Amino acid sequence: MDLASIYYLGVTIALFLIFAAIVARTYSKKHKARGEEPKYRMMDDDHPKETDKGGRDVRRK
Amino acid sequence: MNQQEGYADDVVKGFITWSMVWGLVAVLVGVLISFQIAFPQLNLPPYLTYGRLRPVHTNAGIFGWGIGSFMAFFYYITQRLTRTGIWSPGLARIQLWLFNLAIALAAVTLALGMNRSKEYAELEWPVASLVVVVWVIFAVNIVMTIVKRREEQMYISLWYILATLAGVAVLYLVNNASIPVSLTKSYSAYAGANDANVQWWYGHNAVAMVLTTPPLAIFYYFLPKATGVPIYSHRMGVIAFWSLIFMYLWTGAHHLLWAPVPDWVQTLAMGFSVMLIAPSWAAVFNGYFSMNGQWHQMRENYLVKFLIFGITFYGMQTLQGPSQAIRTFSAFIHFTDWVPGHVHMGTLGWVSLVLFAAIYYTVPRIYGTEIYSVRLANIHFWLVLAGQLMFSISMWIAGVQQAAMLNATNPDGSLHYSFMETMIEIYPYWHIRAMGGVVYLAGLSVFLYNIWKTVAGSKTHAAAQTA
Repeated sequence: MDLASIYYLGVTIALFLIFAAIVARTYSKKHKARGEEPKYRMMDDDHPKETDKGGRDVRRK
Repeated sequence: MNQQEGYADDVVKGFITWSMVWGLVAVLVGVLISFQIAFPQLNLPPYLTYGRLRPVHTNAGIFGWGIGSFMAFFYYITQRLTRTGIWSPGLARIQLWLFNLAIALAAVTLALGMNRSKEYAELEWPVASLVVVVWVIFAVNIVMTIVKRREEQMYISLWYILATLAGVAVLYLVNNASIPVSLTKSYSAYAGANDANVQWWYGHNAVAMVLTTPPLAIFYYFLPKATGVPIYSHRMGVIAFWSLIFMYLWTGAHHLLWAPVPDWVQTLAMGFSVMLIAPSWAAVFNGYFSMNGQWHQMRENYLVKFLIFGITFYGMQTLQGPSQAIRTFSAFIHFTDWVPGHVHMGTLGWVSLVLFAAIYYTVPRIYGTEIYSVRLANIHFWLVLAGQLMFSISMWIAGVQQAAMLNATNPDGSLHYSFMETMIEIYPYWHIRAMGGVVYLAGLSVFLYNIWKTVAGSKTHAAAQTA
Protein backbone atom coordinates (compact mmCIF):
# COMPACT_ATOMS: atom_id res chain seq x y z
CA MET A 1 0.00 0.00 0.00
CA ASP A 2 1.49 3.35 -1.03
CA LEU A 3 1.39 6.61 0.91
CA ALA A 4 -1.65 7.94 -0.98
CA SER A 5 -3.61 4.79 -0.13
CA ILE A 6 -2.68 5.02 3.54
CA TYR A 7 -3.75 8.68 3.59
CA TYR A 8 -7.04 7.82 1.86
CA LEU A 9 -7.72 5.04 4.37
CA GLY A 10 -6.80 7.31 7.30
CA VAL A 11 -9.22 10.02 6.18
CA THR A 12 -11.95 7.40 5.71
CA ILE A 13 -11.48 6.04 9.24
CA ALA A 14 -11.37 9.56 10.72
CA LEU A 15 -14.61 10.49 8.96
CA PHE A 16 -16.23 7.27 10.15
CA LEU A 17 -15.29 8.04 13.75
CA ILE A 18 -16.70 11.57 13.45
CA PHE A 19 -19.90 10.12 12.02
CA ALA A 20 -20.12 7.56 14.84
CA ALA A 21 -19.80 10.41 17.36
CA ILE A 22 -22.62 12.32 15.63
CA VAL A 23 -24.86 9.22 15.74
CA ALA A 24 -24.09 8.60 19.42
CA ARG A 25 -24.88 12.21 20.34
CA THR A 26 -28.02 12.47 18.22
CA TYR A 27 -29.50 9.26 19.58
CA SER A 28 -28.48 9.72 23.21
CA LYS A 29 -31.47 9.70 25.60
CA LYS A 30 -30.36 13.06 26.96
CA HIS A 31 -30.60 14.64 23.53
CA LYS A 32 -33.90 13.07 22.45
CA ALA A 33 -36.37 15.85 23.28
CA ARG A 34 -34.04 18.59 22.13
CA GLY A 35 -33.25 16.73 18.90
CA GLU A 36 -36.93 16.52 17.96
CA GLU A 37 -37.84 20.08 18.97
CA PRO A 38 -37.12 21.77 15.60
CA LYS A 39 -39.76 19.70 13.80
CA TYR A 40 -42.45 21.15 16.06
CA ARG A 41 -41.14 24.71 16.03
CA MET A 42 -41.06 24.82 12.24
CA MET A 43 -44.81 24.18 12.26
CA ASP A 44 -45.45 27.41 14.18
CA ASP A 45 -47.14 30.27 12.40
CA ASP A 46 -45.07 31.64 9.53
CA HIS A 47 -45.62 35.23 10.55
CA PRO A 48 -42.68 36.73 12.48
CA LYS A 49 -43.70 38.40 15.71
CA GLU A 50 -43.43 42.18 15.87
CA THR A 51 -41.01 41.88 18.79
CA ASP A 52 -38.79 39.51 16.80
CA LYS A 53 -37.97 41.97 14.05
CA GLY A 54 -34.35 43.10 13.85
CA GLY A 55 -31.44 42.07 16.04
CA ARG A 56 -30.11 38.66 16.92
CA ASP A 57 -31.73 35.66 18.47
CA VAL A 58 -33.14 36.64 21.84
CA ARG A 59 -33.34 32.96 22.90
CA ARG A 60 -29.58 32.57 22.83
CA LYS A 61 -28.82 35.47 25.18
CA MET B 1 -53.69 34.77 3.35
CA ASN B 2 -51.58 37.85 2.95
CA GLN B 3 -47.99 38.26 1.99
CA GLN B 4 -46.04 37.70 5.15
CA GLU B 5 -44.66 40.86 6.62
CA GLY B 6 -41.06 41.05 7.70
CA TYR B 7 -39.77 38.75 4.98
CA ALA B 8 -38.22 39.80 1.68
CA ASP B 9 -40.39 37.79 -0.68
CA ASP B 10 -40.03 39.92 -3.81
CA VAL B 11 -36.79 38.16 -4.68
CA VAL B 12 -38.53 34.81 -4.11
CA LYS B 13 -41.16 35.87 -6.65
CA GLY B 14 -38.40 36.83 -9.10
CA PHE B 15 -36.54 33.53 -8.82
CA ILE B 16 -39.75 31.50 -9.09
CA THR B 17 -40.83 33.39 -12.22
CA TRP B 18 -37.48 33.05 -13.95
CA SER B 19 -36.97 29.43 -12.97
CA MET B 20 -40.32 28.64 -14.61
CA VAL B 21 -39.19 30.46 -17.76
CA TRP B 22 -35.96 28.44 -17.88
CA GLY B 23 -37.88 25.26 -17.06
CA LEU B 24 -40.09 25.84 -20.09
CA VAL B 25 -37.00 26.44 -22.24
CA ALA B 26 -35.44 23.21 -20.93
CA VAL B 27 -38.50 21.09 -21.70
CA LEU B 28 -39.11 22.72 -25.11
CA VAL B 29 -35.49 22.08 -26.13
CA GLY B 30 -35.67 18.60 -24.58
CA VAL B 31 -38.71 17.71 -26.67
CA LEU B 32 -37.03 19.12 -29.79
CA ILE B 33 -33.83 17.08 -29.29
CA SER B 34 -35.81 13.92 -28.53
CA PHE B 35 -37.49 14.37 -31.93
CA GLN B 36 -34.09 15.10 -33.49
CA ILE B 37 -32.87 11.69 -32.30
CA ALA B 38 -35.95 9.95 -33.65
CA PHE B 39 -36.00 12.00 -36.86
CA PRO B 40 -32.43 13.04 -37.76
CA GLN B 41 -33.61 15.29 -40.59
CA LEU B 42 -34.81 17.74 -37.91
CA ASN B 43 -31.15 18.60 -37.14
CA LEU B 44 -30.45 21.98 -38.76
CA PRO B 45 -26.73 22.70 -38.67
CA PRO B 46 -24.85 24.44 -37.29
CA TYR B 47 -26.90 25.86 -34.40
CA LEU B 48 -30.00 23.68 -34.22
CA THR B 49 -28.34 20.30 -33.97
CA TYR B 50 -28.54 17.72 -31.19
CA GLY B 51 -24.87 18.30 -30.35
CA ARG B 52 -25.38 22.03 -29.76
CA LEU B 53 -28.85 21.86 -28.18
CA ARG B 54 -28.28 18.98 -25.78
CA PRO B 55 -26.05 21.05 -23.40
CA VAL B 56 -28.55 23.95 -23.72
CA HIS B 57 -31.25 21.50 -22.55
CA THR B 58 -29.25 20.20 -19.58
CA ASN B 59 -28.00 23.63 -18.50
CA ALA B 60 -31.46 25.22 -18.75
CA GLY B 61 -32.95 22.27 -16.85
CA ILE B 62 -30.42 21.69 -14.10
CA PHE B 63 -29.20 25.23 -13.59
CA GLY B 64 -32.01 27.45 -14.91
CA TRP B 65 -35.01 25.53 -13.59
CA GLY B 66 -33.32 23.58 -10.79
CA ILE B 67 -30.90 26.08 -9.29
CA GLY B 68 -33.26 29.00 -9.99
CA SER B 69 -36.02 27.30 -7.97
CA PHE B 70 -33.60 26.29 -5.24
CA MET B 71 -32.48 29.91 -4.90
CA ALA B 72 -36.13 30.94 -4.53
CA PHE B 73 -36.92 28.31 -1.92
CA PHE B 74 -33.66 28.65 -0.03
CA TYR B 75 -34.56 32.31 0.48
CA TYR B 76 -38.17 31.45 1.33
CA ILE B 77 -37.34 28.59 3.70
CA THR B 78 -34.32 30.16 5.37
CA GLN B 79 -36.24 33.29 6.31
CA ARG B 80 -39.02 31.28 7.89
CA LEU B 81 -36.86 28.71 9.66
CA THR B 82 -34.62 31.41 11.12
CA ARG B 83 -37.55 33.79 11.69
CA THR B 84 -35.60 36.65 10.24
CA GLY B 85 -35.45 38.53 6.96
CA ILE B 86 -32.79 38.03 4.31
CA TRP B 87 -29.47 39.52 5.42
CA SER B 88 -29.28 41.66 2.27
CA PRO B 89 -32.33 41.89 -0.04
CA GLY B 90 -30.29 44.20 -2.31
CA LEU B 91 -27.62 41.54 -2.84
CA ALA B 92 -30.35 38.99 -3.52
CA ARG B 93 -31.78 41.23 -6.26
CA ILE B 94 -28.30 41.61 -7.81
CA GLN B 95 -27.96 37.83 -7.61
CA LEU B 96 -31.26 37.37 -9.47
CA TRP B 97 -30.12 39.52 -12.39
CA LEU B 98 -26.63 38.01 -12.54
CA PHE B 99 -28.15 34.52 -12.38
CA ASN B 100 -30.38 35.23 -15.38
CA LEU B 101 -27.50 36.84 -17.22
CA ALA B 102 -25.38 33.71 -16.61
CA ILE B 103 -28.11 31.33 -17.81
CA ALA B 104 -28.83 33.47 -20.91
CA LEU B 105 -25.10 33.65 -21.71
CA ALA B 106 -24.87 29.89 -21.18
CA ALA B 107 -27.67 29.26 -23.67
CA VAL B 108 -26.18 31.57 -26.30
CA THR B 109 -22.55 30.44 -25.97
CA LEU B 110 -23.45 26.75 -25.96
CA ALA B 111 -25.62 27.16 -29.07
CA LEU B 112 -22.66 28.94 -30.70
CA GLY B 113 -20.52 25.90 -29.96
CA MET B 114 -18.37 27.33 -27.14
CA ASN B 115 -18.07 24.29 -24.92
CA ARG B 116 -15.49 22.86 -22.50
CA SER B 117 -16.84 19.37 -23.28
CA LYS B 118 -17.18 18.41 -19.61
CA GLU B 119 -20.51 16.92 -18.58
CA TYR B 120 -22.55 19.53 -16.63
CA ALA B 121 -19.49 21.85 -16.70
CA GLU B 122 -19.64 22.94 -20.31
CA LEU B 123 -19.48 26.70 -19.78
CA GLU B 124 -16.39 28.53 -20.98
CA TRP B 125 -14.39 30.42 -18.39
CA PRO B 126 -16.00 33.92 -18.58
CA VAL B 127 -19.49 32.49 -17.98
CA ALA B 128 -18.17 29.99 -15.43
CA SER B 129 -16.52 32.89 -13.57
CA LEU B 130 -19.85 34.74 -13.51
CA VAL B 131 -21.44 31.63 -11.98
CA VAL B 132 -18.84 31.76 -9.20
CA VAL B 133 -19.76 35.42 -8.46
CA VAL B 134 -23.46 34.49 -8.31
CA TRP B 135 -22.78 31.59 -5.96
CA VAL B 136 -20.58 33.63 -3.62
CA ILE B 137 -23.31 36.30 -3.31
CA PHE B 138 -25.90 33.57 -2.68
CA ALA B 139 -23.80 31.73 -0.11
CA VAL B 140 -22.87 34.88 1.82
CA ASN B 141 -26.49 36.04 1.95
CA ILE B 142 -27.88 32.71 3.15
CA VAL B 143 -25.08 32.04 5.64
CA MET B 144 -25.38 35.53 7.12
CA THR B 145 -29.16 35.09 7.41
CA ILE B 146 -28.58 31.84 9.31
CA VAL B 147 -25.91 33.46 11.49
CA LYS B 148 -28.36 36.14 12.67
CA ARG B 149 -31.22 33.68 13.13
CA ARG B 150 -33.64 33.80 16.03
CA GLU B 151 -34.09 30.05 16.26
CA GLU B 152 -31.35 28.42 18.27
CA GLN B 153 -31.71 24.97 16.75
CA MET B 154 -31.52 24.48 13.03
CA TYR B 155 -34.27 22.48 11.33
CA ILE B 156 -32.95 19.74 9.00
CA SER B 157 -33.65 21.78 5.83
CA LEU B 158 -31.06 24.34 6.89
CA TRP B 159 -28.39 21.63 7.13
CA TYR B 160 -29.13 20.54 3.59
CA ILE B 161 -29.04 24.16 2.42
CA LEU B 162 -25.61 24.74 4.01
CA ALA B 163 -24.28 21.49 2.52
CA THR B 164 -25.47 22.60 -0.92
CA LEU B 165 -23.76 25.97 -0.63
CA ALA B 166 -20.45 24.49 0.51
CA GLY B 167 -20.54 21.40 -1.72
CA VAL B 168 -21.30 23.18 -4.98
CA ALA B 169 -18.61 25.79 -4.29
CA VAL B 170 -15.89 23.19 -3.78
CA LEU B 171 -16.97 20.99 -6.70
CA TYR B 172 -17.34 23.87 -9.13
CA LEU B 173 -14.04 25.54 -8.31
CA VAL B 174 -11.99 22.33 -8.50
CA ASN B 175 -13.55 20.95 -11.70
CA ASN B 176 -13.61 24.28 -13.52
CA ALA B 177 -9.91 25.00 -12.94
CA SER B 178 -8.68 25.66 -16.46
CA ILE B 179 -6.15 27.59 -18.52
CA PRO B 180 -7.75 30.23 -20.78
CA VAL B 181 -6.17 30.67 -24.21
CA SER B 182 -8.71 33.21 -25.50
CA LEU B 183 -11.98 34.80 -24.40
CA THR B 184 -13.94 31.83 -25.69
CA LYS B 185 -11.56 28.90 -25.22
CA SER B 186 -9.83 27.26 -22.28
CA TYR B 187 -8.25 23.90 -21.49
CA SER B 188 -8.71 21.83 -18.35
CA ALA B 189 -6.00 22.20 -15.71
CA TYR B 190 -5.90 18.40 -15.44
CA ALA B 191 -4.95 15.75 -17.94
CA GLY B 192 -5.84 12.17 -18.85
CA ALA B 193 -7.18 9.88 -16.14
CA ASN B 194 -6.79 12.65 -13.53
CA ASP B 195 -9.05 14.90 -15.60
CA ALA B 196 -11.62 12.10 -15.91
CA ASN B 197 -11.45 11.41 -12.18
CA VAL B 198 -11.93 15.09 -11.26
CA GLN B 199 -14.70 15.44 -13.84
CA TRP B 200 -16.70 12.50 -12.49
CA TRP B 201 -16.05 13.43 -8.89
CA TYR B 202 -17.76 16.70 -9.96
CA GLY B 203 -20.27 15.11 -12.34
CA HIS B 204 -21.66 12.68 -9.81
CA ASN B 205 -21.56 15.11 -6.90
CA ALA B 206 -23.34 17.74 -8.94
CA VAL B 207 -26.14 15.19 -8.79
CA ALA B 208 -25.60 15.05 -5.02
CA MET B 209 -25.27 18.72 -4.24
CA VAL B 210 -27.57 20.15 -6.93
CA LEU B 211 -30.20 17.46 -7.48
CA THR B 212 -30.34 15.70 -4.10
CA THR B 213 -29.61 17.96 -1.13
CA PRO B 214 -31.68 20.99 -2.30
CA PRO B 215 -34.83 18.98 -3.14
CA LEU B 216 -34.45 17.20 0.22
CA ALA B 217 -34.26 20.59 1.98
CA ILE B 218 -37.42 21.61 0.14
CA PHE B 219 -39.17 18.27 0.72
CA TYR B 220 -38.47 18.33 4.48
CA TYR B 221 -39.91 21.83 4.70
CA PHE B 222 -42.95 21.55 2.46
CA LEU B 223 -44.20 18.04 3.36
CA PRO B 224 -45.08 18.96 6.96
CA LYS B 225 -46.38 22.35 5.82
CA ALA B 226 -48.61 20.65 3.24
CA THR B 227 -49.93 17.92 5.56
CA GLY B 228 -50.05 20.04 8.71
CA VAL B 229 -48.22 17.29 10.62
CA PRO B 230 -44.53 17.37 11.66
CA ILE B 231 -42.04 15.01 10.01
CA TYR B 232 -41.73 11.58 11.59
CA SER B 233 -38.25 12.01 13.08
CA HIS B 234 -35.99 15.02 13.04
CA ARG B 235 -33.11 13.03 14.52
CA MET B 236 -33.42 10.43 11.77
CA GLY B 237 -33.25 13.30 9.30
CA VAL B 238 -30.05 14.57 10.91
CA ILE B 239 -28.36 11.15 10.82
CA ALA B 240 -29.45 10.58 7.22
CA PHE B 241 -28.04 13.98 6.34
CA TRP B 242 -24.60 13.36 7.84
CA SER B 243 -24.32 9.85 6.45
CA LEU B 244 -25.30 11.12 2.99
CA ILE B 245 -22.68 13.85 3.20
CA PHE B 246 -19.95 11.52 4.46
CA MET B 247 -20.62 8.91 1.78
CA TYR B 248 -21.61 10.80 -1.34
CA LEU B 249 -18.31 12.52 -2.07
CA TRP B 250 -16.48 9.18 -2.41
CA THR B 251 -18.64 7.73 -5.12
CA GLY B 252 -17.75 9.67 -8.29
CA ALA B 253 -15.34 7.05 -9.58
CA HIS B 254 -18.20 4.60 -10.12
CA HIS B 255 -18.55 6.43 -13.44
CA LEU B 256 -15.05 5.22 -14.29
CA LEU B 257 -15.37 1.49 -13.73
CA TRP B 258 -13.31 -0.33 -16.36
CA ALA B 259 -11.30 2.90 -16.85
CA PRO B 260 -7.56 3.44 -16.12
CA VAL B 261 -8.04 4.71 -12.57
CA PRO B 262 -6.66 2.58 -9.68
CA ASP B 263 -8.71 -0.51 -8.95
CA TRP B 264 -9.01 0.30 -5.24
CA VAL B 265 -10.51 3.74 -6.09
CA GLN B 266 -13.12 2.04 -8.26
CA THR B 267 -13.92 -0.53 -5.57
CA LEU B 268 -14.18 2.14 -2.86
CA ALA B 269 -16.54 4.18 -5.07
CA MET B 270 -18.62 1.08 -5.75
CA GLY B 271 -18.81 0.18 -2.04
CA PHE B 272 -19.79 3.67 -0.92
CA SER B 273 -22.35 3.88 -3.73
CA VAL B 274 -24.11 0.76 -2.46
CA MET B 275 -23.95 2.03 1.14
CA LEU B 276 -25.69 5.24 -0.02
CA ILE B 277 -28.95 3.31 -0.17
CA ALA B 278 -29.15 3.62 3.64
CA PRO B 279 -29.22 7.43 4.03
CA SER B 280 -31.30 7.85 0.88
CA TRP B 281 -33.94 5.44 2.08
CA ALA B 282 -33.84 6.93 5.57
CA ALA B 283 -35.16 10.12 3.95
CA VAL B 284 -37.75 8.10 2.01
CA PHE B 285 -38.91 6.29 5.19
CA ASN B 286 -39.00 9.59 7.05
CA GLY B 287 -41.34 10.90 4.39
CA TYR B 288 -43.53 7.79 4.38
CA PHE B 289 -43.67 7.53 8.20
CA SER B 290 -44.65 11.21 8.32
CA MET B 291 -47.78 10.17 6.44
CA ASN B 292 -48.90 7.76 9.19
CA GLY B 293 -52.59 8.47 9.70
CA GLN B 294 -52.43 10.99 6.86
CA TRP B 295 -52.54 8.75 3.79
CA HIS B 296 -56.07 9.95 3.02
CA GLN B 297 -54.42 13.24 2.04
CA MET B 298 -53.06 11.51 -1.06
CA ARG B 299 -56.63 11.72 -2.37
CA GLU B 300 -57.60 15.06 -0.93
CA ASN B 301 -54.45 17.19 -1.06
CA TYR B 302 -52.80 17.71 -4.43
CA LEU B 303 -49.61 19.01 -2.81
CA VAL B 304 -49.14 15.72 -0.97
CA LYS B 305 -49.54 13.81 -4.23
CA PHE B 306 -46.66 15.73 -5.80
CA LEU B 307 -44.45 15.39 -2.72
CA ILE B 308 -45.06 11.69 -2.01
CA PHE B 309 -44.67 10.66 -5.64
CA GLY B 310 -41.55 12.81 -5.72
CA ILE B 311 -39.97 11.03 -2.73
CA THR B 312 -41.06 7.69 -4.20
CA PHE B 313 -39.16 8.45 -7.40
CA TYR B 314 -36.22 9.47 -5.21
CA GLY B 315 -36.43 6.07 -3.53
CA MET B 316 -36.45 4.24 -6.86
CA GLN B 317 -33.67 6.46 -8.16
CA THR B 318 -31.51 5.67 -5.15
CA LEU B 319 -31.98 1.94 -5.62
CA GLN B 320 -31.24 2.16 -9.32
CA GLY B 321 -28.18 4.39 -8.91
CA PRO B 322 -26.25 2.19 -6.45
CA SER B 323 -27.07 -0.96 -8.41
CA GLN B 324 -25.72 0.74 -11.54
CA ALA B 325 -22.48 1.34 -9.63
CA ILE B 326 -21.85 -2.42 -9.42
CA ARG B 327 -19.25 -3.40 -12.02
CA THR B 328 -21.18 -6.09 -13.88
CA PHE B 329 -24.41 -4.09 -14.09
CA SER B 330 -22.42 -0.98 -15.01
CA ALA B 331 -20.77 -2.83 -17.87
CA PHE B 332 -24.17 -4.00 -19.07
CA ILE B 333 -26.06 -0.69 -19.13
CA HIS B 334 -23.23 1.77 -19.79
CA PHE B 335 -23.58 3.69 -23.09
CA THR B 336 -27.20 2.57 -23.47
CA ASP B 337 -30.55 4.39 -23.27
CA TRP B 338 -31.03 3.03 -19.75
CA VAL B 339 -28.97 6.01 -18.54
CA PRO B 340 -31.25 8.82 -19.83
CA GLY B 341 -34.19 6.81 -18.45
CA HIS B 342 -32.52 6.79 -15.03
CA VAL B 343 -31.53 10.46 -15.15
CA HIS B 344 -34.98 11.65 -16.21
CA MET B 345 -36.70 9.71 -13.44
CA GLY B 346 -34.59 11.88 -11.13
CA THR B 347 -35.07 15.20 -12.88
CA LEU B 348 -38.66 14.91 -14.10
CA GLY B 349 -39.86 12.65 -11.29
CA TRP B 350 -38.03 13.48 -8.08
CA VAL B 351 -36.75 17.04 -8.49
CA SER B 352 -39.52 18.56 -10.57
CA LEU B 353 -42.46 17.01 -8.68
CA VAL B 354 -41.11 18.40 -5.41
CA LEU B 355 -40.52 21.81 -7.02
CA PHE B 356 -44.04 21.89 -8.49
CA ALA B 357 -45.49 21.27 -5.01
CA ALA B 358 -43.27 23.95 -3.49
CA ILE B 359 -44.34 26.49 -6.12
CA TYR B 360 -48.04 25.62 -5.68
CA TYR B 361 -47.66 26.08 -1.91
CA THR B 362 -45.59 29.25 -2.06
CA VAL B 363 -47.07 31.37 -4.85
CA PRO B 364 -50.53 31.88 -3.29
CA ARG B 365 -48.89 32.80 0.01
CA ILE B 366 -46.41 35.34 -1.28
CA TYR B 367 -48.97 36.89 -3.62
CA GLY B 368 -51.69 36.90 -0.97
CA THR B 369 -54.25 34.88 -2.91
CA GLU B 370 -55.58 31.36 -3.49
CA ILE B 371 -54.53 28.85 -6.12
CA TYR B 372 -56.47 29.46 -9.35
CA SER B 373 -57.54 25.86 -9.93
CA VAL B 374 -56.94 22.71 -7.90
CA ARG B 375 -58.48 20.71 -10.74
CA LEU B 376 -55.87 22.02 -13.16
CA ALA B 377 -53.16 21.17 -10.61
CA ASN B 378 -54.45 17.59 -10.56
CA ILE B 379 -54.50 17.45 -14.37
CA HIS B 380 -50.94 18.79 -14.32
CA PHE B 381 -49.94 16.03 -11.90
CA TRP B 382 -51.31 13.20 -14.01
CA LEU B 383 -49.87 14.60 -17.25
CA VAL B 384 -46.33 15.01 -15.91
CA LEU B 385 -46.52 11.63 -14.18
CA ALA B 386 -47.63 9.93 -17.41
CA GLY B 387 -45.03 11.81 -19.47
CA GLN B 388 -42.24 10.92 -17.07
CA LEU B 389 -43.22 7.25 -16.96
CA MET B 390 -43.47 7.05 -20.77
CA PHE B 391 -40.00 8.56 -20.99
CA SER B 392 -38.27 6.46 -18.32
CA ILE B 393 -39.92 3.10 -18.96
CA SER B 394 -39.35 3.29 -22.74
CA MET B 395 -35.68 4.14 -22.12
CA TRP B 396 -35.21 1.35 -19.59
CA ILE B 397 -36.58 -1.21 -22.03
CA ALA B 398 -34.57 0.29 -24.90
CA GLY B 399 -31.44 0.22 -22.73
CA VAL B 400 -31.79 -3.43 -21.77
CA GLN B 401 -32.51 -4.44 -25.37
CA GLN B 402 -29.60 -2.35 -26.63
CA ALA B 403 -27.25 -3.84 -23.99
CA ALA B 404 -28.38 -7.38 -24.76
CA MET B 405 -27.81 -6.88 -28.50
CA LEU B 406 -24.44 -5.17 -28.05
CA ASN B 407 -23.26 -8.00 -25.79
CA ALA B 408 -24.57 -10.89 -27.90
CA THR B 409 -21.73 -12.88 -29.47
CA ASN B 410 -21.42 -15.78 -31.90
CA PRO B 411 -19.67 -19.05 -30.91
CA ASP B 412 -16.46 -17.73 -32.50
CA GLY B 413 -16.57 -14.61 -30.30
CA SER B 414 -17.61 -12.15 -33.01
CA LEU B 415 -20.51 -9.75 -32.40
CA HIS B 416 -23.90 -11.20 -33.27
CA TYR B 417 -25.48 -7.85 -34.19
CA SER B 418 -24.02 -4.89 -36.03
CA PHE B 419 -24.32 -1.45 -34.42
CA MET B 420 -26.87 -0.39 -37.06
CA GLU B 421 -29.07 -3.38 -36.22
CA THR B 422 -29.21 -2.26 -32.58
CA MET B 423 -30.09 1.29 -33.69
CA ILE B 424 -32.98 0.13 -35.88
CA GLU B 425 -34.46 -1.91 -33.01
CA ILE B 426 -34.67 1.03 -30.62
CA TYR B 427 -36.30 3.55 -32.96
CA PRO B 428 -39.85 2.73 -31.65
CA TYR B 429 -38.69 3.51 -28.10
CA TRP B 430 -37.28 6.84 -29.27
CA HIS B 431 -40.71 7.70 -30.69
CA ILE B 432 -42.33 6.81 -27.34
CA ARG B 433 -39.76 8.96 -25.53
CA ALA B 434 -40.51 11.95 -27.77
CA MET B 435 -44.24 11.51 -27.14
CA GLY B 436 -43.55 11.24 -23.40
CA GLY B 437 -41.79 14.60 -23.69
CA VAL B 438 -44.84 16.08 -25.43
CA VAL B 439 -47.13 14.82 -22.66
CA TYR B 440 -44.80 16.24 -20.01
CA LEU B 441 -44.74 19.57 -21.89
CA ALA B 442 -48.54 19.59 -21.93
CA GLY B 443 -48.52 19.09 -18.15
CA LEU B 444 -45.99 21.87 -17.73
CA SER B 445 -48.16 24.19 -19.84
CA VAL B 446 -51.15 23.51 -17.57
CA PHE B 447 -48.94 24.29 -14.56
CA LEU B 448 -47.67 27.57 -16.04
CA TYR B 449 -51.23 28.62 -16.94
CA ASN B 450 -52.46 27.81 -13.43
CA ILE B 451 -49.67 29.80 -11.79
CA TRP B 452 -50.11 32.69 -14.22
CA LYS B 453 -53.83 32.85 -13.46
CA THR B 454 -53.10 32.61 -9.72
CA VAL B 455 -50.75 35.60 -9.89
CA ALA B 456 -53.19 37.51 -12.14
CA GLY B 457 -55.95 36.73 -9.63
CA SER B 458 -53.91 38.28 -6.84
CA LYS B 459 -53.65 41.54 -8.81
CA THR B 460 -57.42 41.59 -9.41
CA HIS B 461 -57.98 40.85 -5.72
CA ALA B 462 -55.64 43.68 -4.70
CA ALA B 463 -57.31 46.11 -7.13
CA ALA B 464 -60.76 45.19 -5.79
CA GLN B 465 -59.57 45.75 -2.22
CA THR B 466 -58.11 49.16 -3.13
CA ALA B 467 -61.36 50.18 -4.82
